[in-house]
Amino acid sequence: METVNTSTGVLGERSPSQTLKKLGLWLGENFLYLIIIVIFVAPLVWMVLGSLREEKEIFANLYPFTIHTFLPIQWTLDTYLDMFGISEIGIMYGLHFHRFMANSLFVSVAVVSCSLVFNTMGAYFFARLDFPFKNFLLIFVVATMLIPFQATIVPLYIVVSKLGMRDSFWGLIIPWFASPFVIFALAQFIKEIPKELDEAATIDGASLWGILWNVILPNAIPGIITMALLEFQFIWNLFYWPLIVINSPDLQMIQVAIANQTTQTQIFWGRTFAGSTLASLPVIIVFLALQKWYIQGVATTGLKG
Amino acid sequence: MTTVPISSTDQSSSFLAKLWSPRNRYYFIAFLFILPALINFSIFRYLPIFAAARASLWQYSLLGGYRDFIGLQHYQFMMEDIYFWKSMKVTALFVLMKVPIQVLLSLMFAVLLQKETRSSAVVRSAIFTPVVTSVVVVSIIWAMMYHSQLGLINSVLSAFGIPRQVFLSDADRALPAMTAMMIWKDLGFSMIIIMAGLKGIPVVYREAAIVDGAKPWQIMRYITLPLLQRVLMFVVVTQTIFSFQNFVPVYVMTKGGPMDSTKVIVYYIYQYGFLFQDMGYASAMSVVTLLVLLVVSMIQMRLFRTDVEY
Repeated sequence: METVNTSTGVLGERSPSQTLKKLGLWLGENFLYLIIIVIFVAPLVWMVLGSLREEKEIFANLYPFTIHTFLPIQWTLDTYLDMFGISEIGIMYGLHFHRFMANSLFVSVAVVSCSLVFNTMGAYFFARLDFPFKNFLLIFVVATMLIPFQATIVPLYIVVSKLGMRDSFWGLIIPWFASPFVIFALAQFIKEIPKELDEAATIDGASLWGILWNVILPNAIPGIITMALLEFQFIWNLFYWPLIVINSPDLQMIQVAIANQTTQTQIFWGRTFAGSTLASLPVIIVFLALQKWYIQGVATTGLKG
Repeated sequence: MTTVPISSTDQSSSFLAKLWSPRNRYYFIAFLFILPALINFSIFRYLPIFAAARASLWQYSLLGGYRDFIGLQHYQFMMEDIYFWKSMKVTALFVLMKVPIQVLLSLMFAVLLQKETRSSAVVRSAIFTPVVTSVVVVSIIWAMMYHSQLGLINSVLSAFGIPRQVFLSDADRALPAMTAMMIWKDLGFSMIIIMAGLKGIPVVYREAAIVDGAKPWQIMRYITLPLLQRVLMFVVVTQTIFSFQNFVPVYVMTKGGPMDSTKVIVYYIYQYGFLFQDMGYASAMSVVTLLVLLVVSMIQMRLFRTDVEY
């Protein structure tokens, strides 16, 4: 619609064939957009809608392909009651998904909190402070970005076991309390804060901590929130690390729980849909709500990190 | 910082007092700001590499601890281990299929969607949604979509009169099917970065080219692509590193099958370390994977190196 409106007017008169061509272009473009949207969103819509219906209904409507392959005929929350162990079936199978969600939430919030404190300090150091071996330290930190995490997870596991943090929340939280990516992105944000502000504070006798707390922090809030979002998503979606570090079923995080649940009982599609929705929807909703900051964060860590 | 006080009057100071001069005191406090991060990186990023190098030279399991020193025998065994080579081949195949297609598609989408209209913003969010969805969930849902009897994809195909297809249980199709899924998932990530790169190119270059009568593809070929080279390098290098470590989809969808056709190196390391409890050999393979990745990234950075500044 907009493309048509903005392009008329400047040249005034326009022949009908040109208008037709514009219209065709507009239709073509929006048709393409529609196809792209369907390809990228359909699997997730299928998942969410599939969790809101009886399991029988999912199987009954897969063939032939109709609108009800996606859209429930009878809407119900039964599968969620199963997953939370509220319904009879849920109790029978000993399901307690709220436990795994709480674990993931706790670990994610803990990591985000620690990481914000330590990474902001590190970012302040690189952006503003004076130190003899700063360039060496910079290389030391940058180089960690090149270490492939999943490929070196076996030795990381050896180290964490030696420290006695296996099978505990410590083992899930402590290794992640600092991140080179977050330090660099935040350092970029801090560099954009006018230096005069901290110089004025220094003259007023503020300490480095005082400047960080009273001058830098209030001005870096957008950057800090962006990084908190990215970090939360990273930890909430963590799979390989909790898979090997946690043995006790009660301490497990949600991604591992849903994967185990599915591989053991592949036939229960309704519950799989519900579990997958619970494991992914919180992050998707946060993303859609705070999209602008989120994308800005990805672009900053990507380009400047 | 210019405000560091320098004490020059205090002549009688001993060595200790000099050490505790205001300047050094400032450095000490400054160092405290970076110290937690340094500790974290030393213990959880660098130490594991040394631990891996050490464990790879011993017979080592978590339950039994270190047993005999065996030198380079693990590495020797690796050279003759056909499954190791097979998994390296599968990994390379996955990366070579995924990264070029993904980068090309994200470049196309970035150019297509860079307009600031509402409809293109909606399409961008749609493409970005799989990026924030966990790999586990994506793998689970796609495994159901690929299901040979009940899958959504077969259901859609049947609407077009195409018979049921087998995806994940066919040794020739499992890896391409997984690749398609991972491109679908990661596309938005590289698209956003390329888009930010496009925004960073000053408009004057493009305007000048249009004035000179350049066609759109010429602008793309001679202006946009060269100036985007550094961003493209970043995307290619990071996506190669990420994709080389593909693990979750293999764990969730195929467990390496059928006939090891999807057994990538990280999954093979996982099997040795945690299923066969042979941490020594798993560590040796981790060390080799790390080296391979470093060399590959180095080569890529060299190939993409550019002197174009703007």
